[in-house]
Amino acid sequence: MVGGGCYGALSSSSAIIARGLVKRYVTYERKGFLRRVKKTVEALRGVDLETRWGEVFGLLGPNGAGKTTTVKILSTLLLPDDGWARVAGYDVVNEYIEVRRRIGVVLSVERGFFWKLTGRENLRYFAMLRGLRGAELEKRVDEVLRLVSLTELGAADKLYEEYSLGMKARLALARALVHDPPILILDEPTLGLDPPSARRIRELIVRLAREEGKAVLVTTHNMYEAELICDRVAVIAKGRIIAMGSPEELKSLIAKEVPVIVRFSSRGKLVEAPSLEAKLRRELGVEKFSLSVDGEGRNVLRVLARSGEEEETIARVVGLLSGLGYRVRSIEVAKPSLEDVFIALTGGEER
Amino acid sequence: MKVSYVGFIDVVRAEFYSYIRFYKNNRAFLFAAFIWPYLMMMLLLGLGYLFGDPRVYAERLGVRSPVLYVVSASTVAMSSVFIIDEVAGYTLYNRWNGTLPYLILVPMPLSKRLLSASIPSVLLSPAISVASALPVAVYIEGLRGFVLVASLYAAIILGMLPLAGLSVIVAGLVLTTREESNIASSLAPFMLLVSGVFYPVTILPRVLQGVSVVVPVRYVVDIAKSLASTTGAGQLYAAIYALTLMAFAYNLLTVPLLSGVEARVRIHGFE
Repeated sequence: MVGGGCYGALSSSSAIIARGLVKRYVTYERKGFLRRVKKTVEALRGVDLETRWGEVFGLLGPNGAGKTTTVKILSTLLLPDDGWARVAGYDVVNEYIEVRRRIGVVLSVERGFFWKLTGRENLRYFAMLRGLRGAELEKRVDEVLRLVSLTELGAADKLYEEYSLGMKARLALARALVHDPPILILDEPTLGLDPPSARRIRELIVRLAREEGKAVLVTTHNMYEAELICDRVAVIAKGRIIAMGSPEELKSLIAKEVPVIVRFSSRGKLVEAPSLEAKLRRELGVEKFSLSVDGEGRNVLRVLARSGEEEETIARVVGLLSGLGYRVRSIEVAKPSLEDVFIALTGGEER
Repeated sequence: MKVSYVGFIDVVRAEFYSYIRFYKNNRAFLFAAFIWPYLMMMLLLGLGYLFGDPRVYAERLGVRSPVLYVVSASTVAMSSVFIIDEVAGYTLYNRWNGTLPYLILVPMPLSKRLLSASIPSVLLSPAISVASALPVAVYIEGLRGFVLVASLYAAIILGMLPLAGLSVIVAGLVLTTREESNIASSLAPFMLLVSGVFYPVTILPRVLQGVSVVVPVRYVVDIAKSLASTTGAGQLYAAIYALTLMAFAYNLLTVPLLSGVEARVRIHGFE
């Protein structure tokens, strides 16, 4: 099923099932010296999803869309206010100990270990906390350190405080795997990593699903990554799943639209993104676009044009950019990607 | 693919492992841990002289050897500070470190998890304080000093059991409040204030004297006094009895209290 709504009946092949998950956070805003005003933020507004064994399932969404809240509920760290979820067949609210026995979790790759312990010592500690002992513990720790290439990098016996971000990410994945859980829940496991480290982690995630049959739920806002590794993806925005299916199925949603990529430089002045976005919406009537900066420091405007109207859209966009003093470097009409689906579904909401 | 089953002993082993590795990789921190009791001794001696000369101090406290008492009392004080800091500050430290969610994800109820995590602190922190005090005690009193410090270690362990229970409750409360550092950091000075480490409990205001009845450190100080005094064994037995009772009470209390805390933490989140 693509495009939201009901995702069919439950099946025994499901590793994770969630239905109607709702989560509200209560915050207090200070008004004056003593007065505080209660504010309720609805982080999830009825999330439905279902992942299968041996599948990499991607949860995509902009910042604040509800990805991390969903992950925390599925990994039993948070209780939903409404709805239910079962992981490996167990209820995340009442059977949370059983759920915890069957999941490996990565919540942040930047920290989450003891700085004055080596990678191997950290891993031994967390393996002991999962009930591993003696020869089995040593064997498994060695195995996962090799699996994530920390042994190869000569980093297994370095103090964690000396680790690069890439090494930290590998160790975080090693911890999630050390007890060989059937389900992995990974919250942005490649966030901030250099391309080789990110590629290594991605390859490993795919291998774990394909070869070992693990169910992997991975959140990301990297569309390229999602397209590369995910068998199915769900797009979440403002606490709701707005589309779900394979990357190809989702791309078929925008068959009538063509992505146009305009790279431009700003001649030394800063691009005022909000003002440019406002002009694109107001003056050109463009609603589906994203603005970012590429690896070479050039501004990248990705616009979804109606099929057959590409040239007209290009002319209008180039005219606007030139009028604002920007220099257009290249124009490309691309094949639709998951990023374009995301732009189409979320209306270019900030990521 | 496996399902992980974790027992109380597994968590205790893991915590022992990380505790020992931490000190092994931080020799400077270990050195500082040995020095702190001596700093505390200097503070206690300074406070003692406020009462007059050492003989007056000894009379007031009812001990035979004021210096030996100061050694014992500083060992008790440092052990208490370490335990409160390590056990009550456990959740706070792990929250700052980013390790807290992974510790919560251990498949075990929170009360059991925190209680098992406190055991290495209960045994190893006093061991460091006692090892630090041992050379001074042996230098002053010879074999008697050694016996006294060894007995003190047993007393401290007994005293730290209820203190660990109390600290576990605080560790749990730390998870539910945003004022965590205030709670954790005010606990140790308050415990020491009402324990009689710095001066006799009898000179405290009545309210604080009442509070001190339920503070385990007070009874460990009583034991230290008994060991350093010529008084009878009555005070010693009373203190041991009180500590045993408190060890059961406080540790049993953690289970229902932390079940409530765990439910609350899962509703509101732990960050």
